[in-house]
Amino acid sequence: MSWKNVQLIFLREVRDQLRDRRTLFMVAVLPLLLYPLLGVGMVQMTVTFSEQVRRVVIVGADQIPAPSLIQNHRLDPVYFDSPEAAEKLKLVTDLPDGLDNETDPAVRKKLEAFFADVAQREKRLERLGNIQRQLVKLPPSSPEAESPAEEERILREEFESWFSKSPAQVLIVFPKDFLKQYEIVSRKLKERSGEVSGTIIPPRPILLHNSANEKSEMAYRRVQHALQNWEDVLLGERLRDAGLPLSLPNPVPITKIDLAEATQLAANVWSKIFPALLVIMSVTGAFYPAIDLGAGEKERGTMETLLISPASRTEIVFGKFLTVMVFSLSTALLNLVSMGFTGKHMLSAIGAARSSPLGDLSFPPLESLIWVVLLALPLSALFSALSLSLAMFARSSKEGQYYLTPLLLVTMGLTMFCLNPSVELNPYYSVLPVTGPALLLKALLLGSTETPVALYAIPVLITSCGYSGLALWWATEQFQREDVLFREAERFEIGLWIRHLLREKEPTPSFSEAAVCFVLVALLQFLFLTSMQGSLEQLNSPQKLVTVQLIYLIATVGAPPLFMALLLTTNVRRTLKLTFPSWNILALGLVLAFSLQPLALELMGRLDRFFPPLPPGARQLLEAMGSGSVPLWLSLATFALAPAVCEELAFRGFILSGLQHSGRRWLPIVISALLFGVIHMIPKQQFNAALLGIVLGLLAARSGSLLPGLLFHFCFNGTQVLATRLTPADLETPFLGWFVKLTGEDDAAHLQFQPLTLILCGVISAALLWKLIRSDSGSNAPESAGPT
Amino acid sequence: MYRFWKQEPFPHQDSFFQTASGFPNRDWRGNTSCSAKSVHFVRTDPSRRVSPTEIVERESLVFGNGSVGIPMIQVENLTKQFHDLKMGPLFALDHVSFDVQPGEIFGLLGPNGAGKTTCLRIFSTVLKPTSGRASIAGYDVVKQPEQVRSHIGFMSNNTGIYDRMTAWEMVEYYGRLYGIPEDQLQPRLNEIFQTLQMDSIRDVLGSKMSTGMKQKVSIARTIVHDPPVLIFDEPTAGLDVLVARAVLETIADLKSKGKCIILSTHIMREVEKLCDRVAIIHRGKILALGTVPELVEQHQQPDIEEVFFKLIRDLDQSSGPPLTGAVSP
Repeated sequence: MSWKNVQLIFLREVRDQLRDRRTLFMVAVLPLLLYPLLGVGMVQMTVTFSEQVRRVVIVGADQIPAPSLIQNHRLDPVYFDSPEAAEKLKLVTDLPDGLDNETDPAVRKKLEAFFADVAQREKRLERLGNIQRQLVKLPPSSPEAESPAEEERILREEFESWFSKSPAQVLIVFPKDFLKQYEIVSRKLKERSGEVSGTIIPPRPILLHNSANEKSEMAYRRVQHALQNWEDVLLGERLRDAGLPLSLPNPVPITKIDLAEATQLAANVWSKIFPALLVIMSVTGAFYPAIDLGAGEKERGTMETLLISPASRTEIVFGKFLTVMVFSLSTALLNLVSMGFTGKHMLSAIGAARSSPLGDLSFPPLESLIWVVLLALPLSALFSALSLSLAMFARSSKEGQYYLTPLLLVTMGLTMFCLNPSVELNPYYSVLPVTGPALLLKALLLGSTETPVALYAIPVLITSCGYSGLALWWATEQFQREDVLFREAERFEIGLWIRHLLREKEPTPSFSEAAVCFVLVALLQFLFLTSMQGSLEQLNSPQKLVTVQLIYLIATVGAPPLFMALLLTTNVRRTLKLTFPSWNILALGLVLAFSLQPLALELMGRLDRFFPPLPPGARQLLEAMGSGSVPLWLSLATFALAPAVCEELAFRGFILSGLQHSGRRWLPIVISALLFGVIHMIPKQQFNAALLGIVLGLLAARSGSLLPGLLFHFCFNGTQVLATRLTPADLETPFLGWFVKLTGEDDAAHLQFQPLTLILCGVISAALLWKLIRSDSGSNAPESAGPT
Repeated sequence: MYRFWKQEPFPHQDSFFQTASGFPNRDWRGNTSCSAKSVHFVRTDPSRRVSPTEIVERESLVFGNGSVGIPMIQVENLTKQFHDLKMGPLFALDHVSFDVQPGEIFGLLGPNGAGKTTCLRIFSTVLKPTSGRASIAGYDVVKQPEQVRSHIGFMSNNTGIYDRMTAWEMVEYYGRLYGIPEDQLQPRLNEIFQTLQMDSIRDVLGSKMSTGMKQKVSIARTIVHDPPVLIFDEPTAGLDVLVARAVLETIADLKSKGKCIILSTHIMREVEKLCDRVAIIHRGKILALGTVPELVEQHQQPDIEEVFFKLIRDLDQSSGPPLTGAVSP
């Protein structure tokens, strides 16, 4: 590949895009203008925004003990955080001058009627309060709670419809005897006479509100806060009167010290905003130029001119990729800068108006900004590569546009997942496509020093480059396909297509059929698992658990490839590789099963700390595998035989045959191994499975038969099942003692392999694998590539 | 991926001569195809990192002064099969074979959907044949596509020009892509623009050009690197009489320079006036091959048009109703 050509193409494309004045305006200039405009608009709106006053109605206001809650026809502002908060609540009481706040005579009339209503319903309101308090104490589905719950529901519905039509947002009712009883208790406390506790229960005031109604809820919150403060003051008065210490209600006075710094609080906010914004901007900034450079050029007819020049496909894709990446980066950074400046000014304008919980949202430090720019690079690269691949794949600009939404949904989903504070950078997440850079950026912006963030930078960057490379490779592949480059409108009819599928069958499945098989297996697994979650309690015995697992494997993994092979191909034997291999490879598979075992277990042991812990369901299953109550044959059948047969049929049979349709040597093996890994839901098993999948794929591809892989799989799993049945006594025997030793205490005991064993197995495995790789593809004659 | 060089014992093996239009080491201007006296070894520029060529065995290799006998285009049993949902497997090209010599204009004559565009696209390496071989300027289209593309100039209705580039910029860009060294690029551009009388449209943007101007720019782009082989797919389609004539004149001029030219058409006049030899193609098969007088005499018809219709009708009658519409692509 010559970089000169890449540079030529890149420079031309960039100059071309820049010459499109209108697009340039929309992409570059408009955002820079739009954000400030939006900001100014929003500031205007908040400044002129005045909240509607909410009405608080107090009935029985004459029963309020001193010092009163009410002052000058208003709720006393001393109980509120700020005088403005008190201003937002309008008070109406049933005192003689309580309606003075209302100037509108119609409203006064309504309120007078309302007071009469309240007097009428007071008893029932009390009853509702009592029942609710009762129900809180009882467990929800107990038989005693049934009739009160029913009564409560009826009362609540009645009051809800009445209250929503009333002019009040919050109603406080002080019962008739309240003041008298309150003073009795205060006096008794002062005199320390009689039993103060328990005997006299003063009638309870009621506060009625509807938390589902936002207006009522807002008023309620303010009132509740004031009531709390007022109650504290009353308690203070009572204690002082009684000569009791004021610290009585607060025996453990804890001083709370908050170490939060304003800059750190701001950093928390930025660490959530920036990654999400960066991802969105990169995707949208990459997508539209990519569509124009890919599908758009095909439509305008300038693609073929480029294709007949000496530039290779890779050079063309690379040149275009660099163009898209430049635009993605500039869009993202321009937007962020513009948003940042606007945001800062906006927030300071709003913050001056009222105190915001964010405090002073200072501009992020220069260091953080540098991180943002640096990590924009891998994100941009990935999205540019993906967008370009989709653009090359699309047959027209219109089709290409439709790919944006799924791409955006997936990337936003991943990003939202990252924003969750409990999601942290760990080895597993750092190698996933979008989550890696996003989490790294979040950690860098938080400035957290606990996790060695710098250490993660390397795997994140390397894997990001890897994924971009993969996407570019796929783009180049699409670019080589004639039917993607040239076919315009397709004549697609469902009936014809089905007939074509069923009648014009080929001996082995095609690539898309293999993909459909995989998707089917994954879907069935998912369905099975979710339906299992519900009935987990019924699977109380290990035996049942194991049996269910057996059925599940056969139904979800074994059945689809069988059916699909029968239905869609003419040569089931070749598709599912049901031939007998040479004895060499069979023996090779058998020996490999035993020689790779210690290595695999050792590797898993070492990597244990990198993976998240096993979910409870999986752990249950593993225990069931080794439990004594399950007969050995059943355990072997479920954990060794069934996986061997079903998974081989699916992944090395149908799917591998489908992938081999392209005529390549390594790609089908790698892809089938990856798919095999993906299907195991647990991360640790995924890694294990992917590695073993390569060995199994090699066995199947080189021998043209399923049997060596089947044997390998069965022996590999089988020895693990048997190992769980070993007792410490067995390990004392001289033979076994050579290879393994037991370490750790009883419960935490696990097998550890002698170094000699590991070295021996390593050498044998390497030799056998080398032999396998170098062997010819035997009876599996390569398909003629055909019109793929 | 590198494939290993399969060498056959050959006398002048150890001396690497330059051959058919190879930049950047020597002057690319010469009528290279005609004066190829040497073995077709190509020492590719190592910085391009393309795999070494195989020696293609040539029966008609001539040493000394002979310039005849080395076909620049060699097609052997070329087949291209497509799969259509409704019609099943289709042969766009069905075992087509012919040769084209340098200094010759070869015509592919056929109705729409005959396979002409498919054939020419295979030559330009944009499509790959299902079976058979084609070699252009000594390079196989499947195994050495990049060399093939360096040695051909291709023009069709689908090879458009960029909207936002001027004529000069467009031809200059492709000149650079074809590897013309910078010091030779500007003089070459000047020369082409003068010859094709394009000096007035040097700075006109593609979107603002008329059809005739666009065609001229396309031609300029096609010949900028002076390739030995030129491929024209319906060069006068959609053009008015004057522009069409100008195009045909240019093609004739190129022939006089010793280029090997193949063009596809369904216009009889062009065939009569321009083509040295013609192949009549229908449903992917070659029905007749030879010079115009030869064919007229062979089929006992007054002119090539009648020959054409006769052959088409015969084939249609024997194989059933004709295919409707163009076979894509």
